[in-house]
Amino acid sequence: MDLSINGKTLTLDDAAAPPDMPLLWALRDLLDLTGTKFGCGVAACGACTVHVDGQAVRSCVTPLSAVAGKPIRTIESLGAPDRPHALQAAWVQHQVPQCGYCQSGMLMAAAALIAKNPKPSDADIDATMTNLCRCGTYPRIREAIKTAAAALRAGA
Amino acid sequence: MKRRTLIVAGAGAAAALVVGWGVLPARSRQGTTATLPVAGGEVGLNGWIKIAPDGRVMLAMNRSEMGQGVHTALAMLVAEELDVPLASVQLVQAGPESLYGNVAGFVASLPFHPSDAEPGHETRIVKAGQWFVSKLARELGINMTGGSSTMVDAWDVLRLAAATARAQLLGAASLHWKLPVAELVVTDGVVSHPSGPKAHYGELAKEAAAAPPGDVLLKDRKQWALIGTPAPRTDVAAKSNGTATFGIDVRLPGQVYAVLRHCPMLGGSSGAVNADAAMKLPGVERVVRLGSYAGSTAAVAVVGTSHWHAKRGAQALQIDWRAPPAGTVNSADVMRALEASARAAAQSGGGFTFYSRGDAAAATQGAARRVEQVYRAPYLAHAAMEPINCTARVAEGRVEVWVPTQVPGMARAVAAQAAGVAESAVTVHVTYLGGGFGRRLDVDVVGQAVRIAVETGGRPVQLVWPREEDITHDFYRPAGVAVLQAGLDAQGLPVSIAFTSAGDAITPRWLARSMSVLAGPIDMPDKTTAEGLFDLPYGVANQRMTHVATHSGVPVGFWRSVGHSHNAFFSEAFIDELAAEAKQDPVAFRLALLKDAPRHAAVLKLAADKAGWGTPLAAGRARGVALHESFGSIVAQVAEVSLVNGKPRVHRVVCAADVGTVVNPGIVAQQMEGAVLFGLSAALYGRIDIEAGRVKQSNFPDYPVIGLAESPRIETYLIASASPPTGVGEPGTPPIAPAVANALFGLTGRRLRELPLVV
Repeated sequence: MDLSINGKTLTLDDAAAPPDMPLLWALRDLLDLTGTKFGCGVAACGACTVHVDGQAVRSCVTPLSAVAGKPIRTIESLGAPDRPHALQAAWVQHQVPQCGYCQSGMLMAAAALIAKNPKPSDADIDATMTNLCRCGTYPRIREAIKTAAAALRAGA
Repeated sequence: MKRRTLIVAGAGAAAALVVGWGVLPARSRQGTTATLPVAGGEVGLNGWIKIAPDGRVMLAMNRSEMGQGVHTALAMLVAEELDVPLASVQLVQAGPESLYGNVAGFVASLPFHPSDAEPGHETRIVKAGQWFVSKLARELGINMTGGSSTMVDAWDVLRLAAATARAQLLGAASLHWKLPVAELVVTDGVVSHPSGPKAHYGELAKEAAAAPPGDVLLKDRKQWALIGTPAPRTDVAAKSNGTATFGIDVRLPGQVYAVLRHCPMLGGSSGAVNADAAMKLPGVERVVRLGSYAGSTAAVAVVGTSHWHAKRGAQALQIDWRAPPAGTVNSADVMRALEASARAAAQSGGGFTFYSRGDAAAATQGAARRVEQVYRAPYLAHAAMEPINCTARVAEGRVEVWVPTQVPGMARAVAAQAAGVAESAVTVHVTYLGGGFGRRLDVDVVGQAVRIAVETGGRPVQLVWPREEDITHDFYRPAGVAVLQAGLDAQGLPVSIAFTSAGDAITPRWLARSMSVLAGPIDMPDKTTAEGLFDLPYGVANQRMTHVATHSGVPVGFWRSVGHSHNAFFSEAFIDELAAEAKQDPVAFRLALLKDAPRHAAVLKLAADKAGWGTPLAAGRARGVALHESFGSIVAQVAEVSLVNGKPRVHRVVCAADVGTVVNPGIVAQQMEGAVLFGLSAALYGRIDIEAGRVKQSNFPDYPVIGLAESPRIETYLIASASPPTGVGEPGTPPIAPAVANALFGLTGRRLRELPLVV
């Protein structure tokens, strides 16, 4: 099976990667793209959030059959070390992460939000950011999303 | 004696140092270069610090980073004393030697009342106890990240290690250039003299290693350039781009993946296992039966080419599960038994009395009025975001494990046991921890992973528990029940308080499963169960604070703020009840009882001021307050609460804290925010129920935690202090549940005496 991940076509061995295998485990265990995390396995926590066709999806319940040929984007290509995404810059500015485990999923969910909605309100953020964090980084995530959205609007 | 650190320069290299009296001299914890291996031209200066050829400072990091910011905060101490930029301090994992053990965390486990143990004013018996335990802890050298003790433990030790290294580096420059030390200047790790000579630490290190440090002086706080500033954390970039390596992210050549299923009944075992269907599935390689490791329930694991393949295999196993011989437990029965125990002890004077003053029984008897209430708290799971995991390789008589753990030495011991090798044959690599909260003070998963790795022919295996196994096989925050009694005078003011609680002791169970040499036939009184109830700051003349340690049979463990997590709810909600009985404002009532506790009063006043206590609120909102000391720090919180669709919604939390010297106010604020939200999840939703030995909850849909939409605005205000630093990771958790409960009383007129808070 061919997957389009972060702008590259990657081929998975059909025997190792049957169509019902969740995308999360193909990314993590077959392709060693470990930035995307496993948290619950039931689409409840969002640690596994990636983009498929620009939409935020929970990869732990998304079978490979549903994403074949579609553009997939993971945290590994959200920004580059020398050119971080506006959200990543805002994450540093607001000192968002604590343990950091949920942050890949948070960033991917936030990136999908501000791509569609350049000026998200608190209510928009509340409705979209349903990922779970146990360290309690939510108040900073809210502020960092607003900072990043403003930076993008200003042409950053 | 003045508590400030005194340094006495001795002859030659034998400088002596006296740090207070309560901990062993930090000098004795400088160690030697023998425990800090060097490579590629690095030069060791003591057990903590070595210098790279390019001048970078390398720090032996003995504590685990689980979100609490210690990798940044400890590096700040060293950067400060060595005058180097924070970014140029590189961390290397400390070895298993006892030098890297935790002393402060164990000293803090002594059940002393804070009024007897106020730093600098300790009573004789407190001093003796602290001295003895610090000596014991130093000998044992248990490396533990927990008990909010990292900064407390490192404060003198790391600053002295860095200051000594700096003195040696300057000494080397002085000898080399034949210029007086006093005239040398250090800027960003470069030593220079106004007359021209200049060298970076890398160029001086070799000579420095042989140079006596001479007079070593720690910087005065007025000289600090870094300590006290909100320096950005050093781990944020990696945690914002997916490159930070957690335990689950370890990838090794030839790695295979394992998933397990525990016996659903806590403490149970597996009988016959039919693996036929599992073994027919593609990508399934083998099945391994797992006994009990460091307190785990027996399990069966499946090894496969990915987590998903292994999980499908595990689901296909047919297993004849067996109940534990002692029978299965029900949490409802436990709660009834705890209440019966607490009531009986309250009546008969049984249990262990952690604190008493005056004569509570007589005072209550003679009081104008008596109040008695029963408070309850359930079992709780930790639910750290990173599922429980460990990666292990067993090959050629050696064992290597990669694990997100708070106790690498204990991980090493259980790994050695599981593989049947000596501990010296085991290497433990500590990764980032995707949350710890006390769960990773247990090393069950390490034994399991190593046992599986024994079977995989030298290939590394990564064991990751599904979330359902985590929620159903945790070491739970113990359930607790407390009978709280007070005697009031004619004005409604308390003349006596008598608290009698019941719950399982944690430390003896933990030692028995993780470090059995330290477990005795009889449990010593365990502070963790009673902390937060016996050690109140309020000046009530007659007190009797008693705890009954029970044996419920449920595996219990340390959960962020431990006994304080529920005991603060009991005590601070009850104090609020007494304020209402006295028809007094809750803040004024507390302040009147804090005349001999000025630090507590100051924290409470700060929180009340910043929250606008007493000022009008929008209709449908109410404020509640709570004050609590834990891990040496005092925290007060004011919560602003309403009901949304009949359910509590917290809008704003004002948090004031006295944590001693603030090393990094940014990290302290993060920790207070995190602690509030961790406590709020428990206050609003958290409960683990057990029926016939099976935990009913299994994943986030039925063990909910707070989300972003319900998250309040949180403001943190810190008291300026020149005392040594105290705990930061946990003390923000205890006050939130009572603050919210007390606000709900203001809204509804009803007292909630059981967690979680259901209106």
